[in-house]
Amino acid sequence: MSAWFGTLGALLLTLLAFLAGERLYRLSGRLALLHPTIAGAVLTAAALHLLEVDYDRYMRGNETLQFLLGPATVALAVPLYYQLHLVRGLVAPLLITVVAGAAFAVLSALGIAWWLGANPQTLLSLASKSVTTPIAIGISEEIGGLVTVTTGAVVFTGAAGIVLAPPLLRWLRVDDPRLWGFCMGLAAHGVGTARAFEINPTAGAFASLGLCLTGTLSAVIIPLAVTAGRFFG
Amino acid sequence: MIRGLAILLFCQWLGEVVKTALGLPLPGAVLGMLILLLALFALGGPDDGLQKTSNQLIQYLALLFLPPAVGLFFLGPTFADQWLAMAGAIVLGTTLTLLFCGALLRWLTRSPPQ
Repeated sequence: MSAWFGTLGALLLTLLAFLAGERLYRLSGRLALLHPTIAGAVLTAAALHLLEVDYDRYMRGNETLQFLLGPATVALAVPLYYQLHLVRGLVAPLLITVVAGAAFAVLSALGIAWWLGANPQTLLSLASKSVTTPIAIGISEEIGGLVTVTTGAVVFTGAAGIVLAPPLLRWLRVDDPRLWGFCMGLAAHGVGTARAFEINPTAGAFASLGLCLTGTLSAVIIPLAVTAGRFFG
Repeated sequence: MIRGLAILLFCQWLGEVVKTALGLPLPGAVLGMLILLLALFALGGPDDGLQKTSNQLIQYLALLFLPPAVGLFFLGPTFADQWLAMAGAIVLGTTLTLLFCGALLRWLTRSPPQ
């Protein structure tokens, strides 16, 4: 069907949608709902529907871009190296928050989804929603969730995080960039981290820290909790 | 640029090796980030090339999340009755998580009464 689309067409569509998203974002005065990732994804999905190209073909064309996510994750060590001295005096609060917050993120998502009638498969797919994509996919495979749903849930969470975090944290009067950056990395992983870097380099580095700690902790705890849940339930 | 990319890929590769050797549930890239961080502390900071490449990659993180985000619109008809639960869990769950973490961090870092 859409063979003419090819690999380059898919990659080109992503880049054009991102550029258009960036322009919309800037024109709107940086309205969080129009963040390039969100606006660009909506534009891309609309284009794929119009052109009748299926998602798998599109994704195959974007493998080069997905490959860069690996080195980009490693690269987060550089800003972290420059900002880590700012962690002094905050080690205990940050560690307590990541343990309690990561657990809270999983339990609140599962509780609400269960209450709204999600099936077990959806629940398993949602458990790792606050974790950075590569770790979330690993966890989801491990516990028997659907990888496509998990990936969607993770990015949706990131989008919700960058829309919700600024007003909520301002309302709580959390204005230290180290603290709100950390919250964004914890609740909204890579998408929140990217957004935090746009606002302030210190917030970005602390978001990386939050992302890394939440991901590590979740990768160990979620599979164990699911196994325990199956054993007792 | 190339030198920086080589260093990043080398760390990611080391991460993959460590992951396989120890059977860790973490992705190689996250372990690679920890390895690079330790190396930076041991060797005293990144050189120009690594710094430039890293900044560039981080600047485009938002672009790298675009293709997986598109998948949200292609979950298929079997997922139709799950949308409400998923959207509710994500929007409400993320709101509560941010409030919980923000309030907890503020409370834990409050200055002691004078």
